[in-house]
Amino acid sequence: MNEFILPAILNLFEPMNFFLMIAGLVGGIIVGALPGLTATMGVALMVPITFAMNPISGLIMLGAIYVGAIYGGANSAILICTPGTPSSVATTFDGWPMCQNGKADDALHVSLISSAFGGIIGTFFLLFFAAALARFALRFGGPENFWLCLFGLSTIAVMSVDNMGKGIISGAIGILVATIGLDPNTGSIRFTFGTYSLIQGISVIPCMIGLFSFSQVLYLIGSKREYIAKCSTSSGSFMYVTKYLFTKCKVLLMRSSIIGTIVGMLPGAGGEIASIITYNEAKRWDKNPERYGKGCIEGVAASESANNAVIGGALIPMLTLGIPGSAVAAVILGALMAHGIQPGFKIFTASGELAYTFIMSQFLVCLLMLPVGYILCKFMARLLNLQLTYIALSIVVLSYIGAYAIANSIIDVWIVVIFGFVGYFGGRIGMDTGAMALGVILGPMIEENLGKCVDLANAHNYGIYGVMTEGVISKILIFALMLSIVTPLYVGITRGRRNAKKGARHA
Amino acid sequence: MVKFLSKVCIIVAVVTTFVGSALAEYPTKPINMVIAFSAGGSSDVQARIMQKYWNKYAPKPWVFIYKPGAGGIIGFTEIAKARKDGYTMGGLNVPHIILQNLAQNAQFNPSDSFDYIAQVVNDPQCIAVRKDSPFKTVQEFLDHAKVNPSKVKVGLVGPLSGHHLMYLDFKEKYPEHRLTHVFYKGATDQNAALLGGEIDIMFGNLNDVMRSIDEFRVLGIAAEEKNDFLPGTPTLKEQGVDMVSDIRRCFAVPKGLPAEDLATIRKIFKEICEDPEYLADMRKSGQPAEYMDGESFAKYIDAQQQASHDALQKANLLKK
Repeated sequence: MNEFILPAILNLFEPMNFFLMIAGLVGGIIVGALPGLTATMGVALMVPITFAMNPISGLIMLGAIYVGAIYGGANSAILICTPGTPSSVATTFDGWPMCQNGKADDALHVSLISSAFGGIIGTFFLLFFAAALARFALRFGGPENFWLCLFGLSTIAVMSVDNMGKGIISGAIGILVATIGLDPNTGSIRFTFGTYSLIQGISVIPCMIGLFSFSQVLYLIGSKREYIAKCSTSSGSFMYVTKYLFTKCKVLLMRSSIIGTIVGMLPGAGGEIASIITYNEAKRWDKNPERYGKGCIEGVAASESANNAVIGGALIPMLTLGIPGSAVAAVILGALMAHGIQPGFKIFTASGELAYTFIMSQFLVCLLMLPVGYILCKFMARLLNLQLTYIALSIVVLSYIGAYAIANSIIDVWIVVIFGFVGYFGGRIGMDTGAMALGVILGPMIEENLGKCVDLANAHNYGIYGVMTEGVISKILIFALMLSIVTPLYVGITRGRRNAKKGARHA
Repeated sequence: MVKFLSKVCIIVAVVTTFVGSALAEYPTKPINMVIAFSAGGSSDVQARIMQKYWNKYAPKPWVFIYKPGAGGIIGFTEIAKARKDGYTMGGLNVPHIILQNLAQNAQFNPSDSFDYIAQVVNDPQCIAVRKDSPFKTVQEFLDHAKVNPSKVKVGLVGPLSGHHLMYLDFKEKYPEHRLTHVFYKGATDQNAALLGGEIDIMFGNLNDVMRSIDEFRVLGIAAEEKNDFLPGTPTLKEQGVDMVSDIRRCFAVPKGLPAEDLATIRKIFKEICEDPEYLADMRKSGQPAEYMDGESFAKYIDAQQQASHDALQKANLLKK
């Protein structure tokens, strides 16, 4: 490994490669920030261009786009409450309230620094522990992924402590929506009511654009406000946020990044679950969990550090075993193989220079993201100075374009409109759009993994029960799941008692 | 007067463009290329390689349109229902189109909806195990499965896929070898499951198996002949297992294209498929290239349609 590190670093400072990193980052951030244009799409569109480059430069550029796009998703999550990529759903939980409180620039800087931090930690694991971790990731099969997704779903309970009933109903509606289309286990058609275009199911991204951004537009139009939020860009914001993050949030950043890396390694789970789980954990371990959801720095930091840490994690099984840990990693794998590079443990020796240049470039990209992102933040925050009418209009236009671009399908535009109204009226009666999005995202994964467990049960002496509870990892996840469900109940009860006591005292 | 003159000019211009385009050789404008899977996937990579050489032999480029969803059914329908002017073509996968028609109410019929241009890929199925598996040959796996009913777990991508068909074929030929099958969403999950030990053996495409070939041992290839990618691996037939199964990719236009245009397209595809540089690019990216002309391929489709119908009928999977 050591003999490759120095040439790798030298490669990075070739002017062409350096330029590609910055161009990739800027392009990635913009793609990520536009709702509907996802990291996967951004990287996939650039793959043919890499065929004309040498493989090292091509990989560096794709890696930079990946990092930029995952970070970029936070910008729209914070400014217009629209997760630019599915990985930043959890960023809206606190990022949007921060924006409404007039702290948009703080929120943008938090997401920038946390993303860079998470990315560096993820790459650190990729560089030093790739081989060992790849073997560990393989132990996550059907049952483990099933419990992991349920664990992610249990976030609903934590998210809506005050109103768990409505939270659960919202989540259940989300899961129900996710069952439209082809049954993953039998291939039969469900809930399409004879409509041929519904056979593809309700895609996650248009549904999220509807729930989050279109419904926000409806809300904003009804609010009679002139601007989204007061935007006061204070010059000391970046320094203040940096100091805050590295004194008060050290542990949180570290924990979120490690969870992100681990979830990233799993072939079935990507950034969308990682950020939700870390948000959940951040809230659980906090002394004042009530702050979450009202615009606290910790919430944004947890979600954003995790989704960038996923990148390093997702590349681990991709490089060592040829098994991509995320959809974007799968596209990069395709590009690698088109260049005739065979993934496998040998990649670190046979194509060592390429592999290590790629890994080292990830470090540099994360560092470069700080200045690049800082400059872009300045522009992004200015958007808030535009009048609400224009912003509302552009959100609608972007939502339609973004939804259509996913699969070039007009039905996705209708999904945006329908779920926009669902989100708007649902919000009015206290339904939780976040929980519903969780259901839509996690529903298919839960179903798919449950299907695998049912299949596997035929070979197991104790049937489905045996399959589900056999592994050590499954047992740990079941325990964590129980804990996750019981804690908010317990908190709710004790708080209720405390309030009752107070009430009694007042009386 | 000026207004009138300009109107005349516009009319003349419009008319000449139309007449011009009618007289000129096909194609006179870019062609829509519908890909029924996501950008960056295996089907897309193959079409992109093809595009490089299309530009060499044809005057107008392709415009890629991605219509992913529901295992390709959305994009395939798009091709079937496109205008029959030769400016929309797309990639089809077999047996996907056949199974979707037989079992999933697809709005196209492989025999009537398409004019086939050429088959470009023949990706055979393999039986693969992990490197440290006790099975060294197909026979060892069969012997073990026979005395341990339902204990051997086989991974398939599916349901209603080429893998699934191969499994139905296996069940038909070896009814006393009971396996436990597990469906995976895609080849990535399937490869991961085999590596992680969740399944003991898998039926997988050569192209997918090659991604993790360092960790796998391929027991046999379900093809008529050995494959260049794995020259040392025997076919299933050579090991006494009479099974041939594969996934093929072809290009097609909606049925009813003018005969001379179809002939032009077929000729260009033939030239591409015989270009040595194209073949080298295909090999480099792990795509098992195999050319078959459009007419033969249409016959192949009809034969497959019948065979799949029988297999699904026996398994009670036909649409009701």
